[in-house]
Amino acid sequence: MIGVPVLKIENLRTYFYSSSKQAFSRAVDGVNLALEKGETLGIVGESGSGKSVTALSVMGLVTAEPGVITGNIGLKTDGVQKNLLQDIEDYVKITNENGRTVEVSKDNPGWQRHIDRVLRGVRGKEISMIFQNPKLSMNPFSSVGKQIKEAIMLNTSINNAQEARERTLYWLEQVKIDSPRLRYDNNPYGLSGGMCQRAMIAMALSSEPSVLIADEPTTGLDATIQSKIVSLLEELKSSVGVTTLLISHDIDVIKTLSDRVSVMYGGRVLESGPSKEILSAAHNDKHPYTAALLASIPTARQIKAKSYLQAIKGDVLDTINLPSGCLFYARCHQVTEQIKMQCKHQEPELREISSNHNVRCWRFFNA
Amino acid sequence: MKRYRQHSIEFGNLSDVPFWKTAGPIDLVYISYGLLVVLLVFVSYVLGMTGFLPFDPQEINLELLMAPPNTEGHLLGTDFMGRDILARLIIGIQAYFLPGLLAIALALALGTCFGVLAGYWGGGLDTASTYVSNLLNSFPRLVLILLMVAAFKPDIYLVMTVVGITNAPTVASLIKSKIQFLKQKNFIEAATALGLKNAVIIIKHILWHNCRSVLIIQATLGMAEVILIETSLSYLGFGVQEPTPSWGNMVQSGANYFMQGKFWPSTAPAMAILLTIMGFHLLGDSLNNILERKRDQ
Amino acid sequence: MTDTILEVQNLKKHYNQNGGLFSAFKGKENVIPAVDDVSFYIKEKETMGLVGETGCGKTTIGRTLLKLIPATSGKIIFNGTDITHLSAAQFRPFRKKIQMIFQDLDAALNPKMRIKAILQEALTVHCRLSDAEIDHRISELLEMVNLKKSKLSNFPNELSGGEKRRVGIARTLAVGARFIVADEPTSALDVSIQAQVVNLLRDLQKELRLSYLFISHDLRVVELVSHKVAVMYLGQIVEMGLAGRIANAPRHPYTAVLWSSLVDKKSDESIKNEGNPNEGQWGVFDFERPNVGCRFAPRCPVYHAKNRPTICTDPATSPQLQKIDDAHQVRCHFPL
Repeated sequence: MIGVPVLKIENLRTYFYSSSKQAFSRAVDGVNLALEKGETLGIVGESGSGKSVTALSVMGLVTAEPGVITGNIGLKTDGVQKNLLQDIEDYVKITNENGRTVEVSKDNPGWQRHIDRVLRGVRGKEISMIFQNPKLSMNPFSSVGKQIKEAIMLNTSINNAQEARERTLYWLEQVKIDSPRLRYDNNPYGLSGGMCQRAMIAMALSSEPSVLIADEPTTGLDATIQSKIVSLLEELKSSVGVTTLLISHDIDVIKTLSDRVSVMYGGRVLESGPSKEILSAAHNDKHPYTAALLASIPTARQIKAKSYLQAIKGDVLDTINLPSGCLFYARCHQVTEQIKMQCKHQEPELREISSNHNVRCWRFFNA
Repeated sequence: MKRYRQHSIEFGNLSDVPFWKTAGPIDLVYISYGLLVVLLVFVSYVLGMTGFLPFDPQEINLELLMAPPNTEGHLLGTDFMGRDILARLIIGIQAYFLPGLLAIALALALGTCFGVLAGYWGGGLDTASTYVSNLLNSFPRLVLILLMVAAFKPDIYLVMTVVGITNAPTVASLIKSKIQFLKQKNFIEAATALGLKNAVIIIKHILWHNCRSVLIIQATLGMAEVILIETSLSYLGFGVQEPTPSWGNMVQSGANYFMQGKFWPSTAPAMAILLTIMGFHLLGDSLNNILERKRDQ
Repeated sequence: MTDTILEVQNLKKHYNQNGGLFSAFKGKENVIPAVDDVSFYIKEKETMGLVGETGCGKTTIGRTLLKLIPATSGKIIFNGTDITHLSAAQFRPFRKKIQMIFQDLDAALNPKMRIKAILQEALTVHCRLSDAEIDHRISELLEMVNLKKSKLSNFPNELSGGEKRRVGIARTLAVGARFIVADEPTSALDVSIQAQVVNLLRDLQKELRLSYLFISHDLRVVELVSHKVAVMYLGQIVEMGLAGRIANAPRHPYTAVLWSSLVDKKSDESIKNEGNPNEGQWGVFDFERPNVGCRFAPRCPVYHAKNRPTICTDPATSPQLQKIDDAHQVRCHFPL
């Protein structure tokens, strides 16, 4: 099963242009990800790390200009096999100077029409998405059940309304909404945040997608409800077994749910590998950023001892003025005198340090 | 194909970038034109006040009736009584300049007061001020002015007072909605928590820092409106009376000769009206774009 | 001995929900008790944590303490003075001592003022200072909150989240606050910045002998910084005690659920799964059935495990906050 990449993102770059600063914000800058069949790949990162933009780029939902400028997104499932960014070169012209992109020309309306055509039959059917704010992502004037029913009739082989209704009730039951028959007729605003997120998950799963993208599925919910949604997703993972791209800033969520994880920072993947290895505090060989992130979350022991937290110094990255060396250099606490110059002026590559574990840090391969 | 170009590798803060670098080029053109108009109007007003004119606007020259432009030093020609049109255009500004400023000041002052009352304290005051503004808006303004003129006397200051009062609801609703928008962000609450007095919060935080551009824009647009109203009234004969020149009554008196092919006596003031009003409107609009720009982050 | 700096007695804040156009004919008003009978006290140099979910009334308490909204009833005593019924002018001198850090990063700073002007304003609200003194105090403040001097000429929207938070903290210090209500000071920040801010707040407490009311939905952070913790549920404090006790031995079922959902998502499966998954009624006050005994009962694992005893739902026997231990109070008939 595992080993066949269902979704393969190669060298994805999504830029935004700030007209007042007359500069690019490099939201996603050369991201490579591979999502294998049946697995859950977590993307963890802070705000501005480009994790959500990556997901939106896959779905062709980037609205800010110029948006996606290069890349390959290969989707390989039973029904579909195509590059979701095919012919992007025809719409984008890039000028580089000194290895940096200084000018981009893009035919935005043409590209949008093109990508809508390419993604027809993919969006919602092969790849479906759970958004952060369930209430805003559903139509407030239509009942939850009806919306799911419509999604089923649109995206699956079920054409019969009665059958679709039964299927809807089945999925509502799957996501553990109590008395689904009653909730079927509720509008999204009649449901609590947690229930609405469940309905959203039901809707995303109901089209039986090959890939599910969950963008911050628990953010904005209360702690007790968060943990319920997490355990629901965990159960669904084993019962439905859908290939998932899980995006979250919450390390605990990623740790619980994902098999592999990619840590993003400033539009790049700094580290990727098995989540057990990367996100466990005990394992030492990891990127300094990941290590610092883990350390800044209070553990039960720290709470009891009332000890100080290990804060990461400095501030979040400004994606307009990216440094020339390692993106994390200014905040890194593991820079040694030996590799200092390298870190400052030369960006390391993402290289394998152990099986399936890649790190973008000079510390591991001192050239 | 749309081009996006990075102009520099290192970029500082937006506040360090002067506004003309971030503004759209068309806005800059409009603003320059608008400022030129404002300057011309002001200079002309001063010229008219000091009497520094090429000809006496009231001097009747029976030998040069309806002289076409550029005869004997009359740059824009003369009208049906042989009076110099340029001089009359310049002196015509006197008709609306000061009364117009009065109207604007009145509109801004009243509008700001009611806007602050309605937006900051809200509740019953809000309801009351909405009621008053609806009342004023539901009455055709020109009819109201004509009524006032008929009841009292055709005095331009009276007319402008009415204009000022009827313009106040527009300003009030703008200020009110701005305050309500600002209240959603809770820096007003934070300022209260800091211990600032209401008066300081209103004047400094709300009006000075956040509403001044709105007020400037309203003043500019208000001037355009004032000119329009003054000229319409004078055209109809309810405003400035002959022989005192006003652009409105100049158009009116010149219009009789338009059909005879003598276009200049009416066209010159008409163009003056058009270009001036356009200037103020473009200025207001572009200021709106630049001062109230959404800083994209 | 340290003195009590703030005491709150039976504080209530009820919101009237207007039932629409015809509410007058219905003859009843929907009253939402956002804060219902809350009492606590905070000593000098002490941090009291206030935890609860969205809509439990924790922010309302903070805002009531600063008299940004009037209390319905109850007493707020600050440094021995009853400030509940002071007028705005009478209360102004107290604003020097009581300050608030607002949850919303962007919203609390005037977007059109430069950082220097913001700090300068805070410094001069309550006292006159010469320009040289102002500059001196500003550089002092910047050092205290670790903010670069170059940021002074910026507008708030040019700062990052962490920097905005620092400016907010610097502003409360500029006034000379002794007691600070910190309303979710970390929730809008990234993980890596959260730790900086938490550490900063703790440093400042030591340095300046501050007292905090630390409001947060994150029990972990609250436990870390607080000396005392109160857990709120639907407007009521359900458990209050020393921080260590709440973390190690929660007695109220709600605290236990909250704690298990946060600290270790794997542990305490039993508690998690016994709860009624009926999220429809969760966290929102249901004014169709006000005051039916324990407000947590519909979600309570103990209530369901004990086969729904009537004592929990009977309005006559709604649980009271009882002392079960030294400095540990619980509002429950069947404390764990």
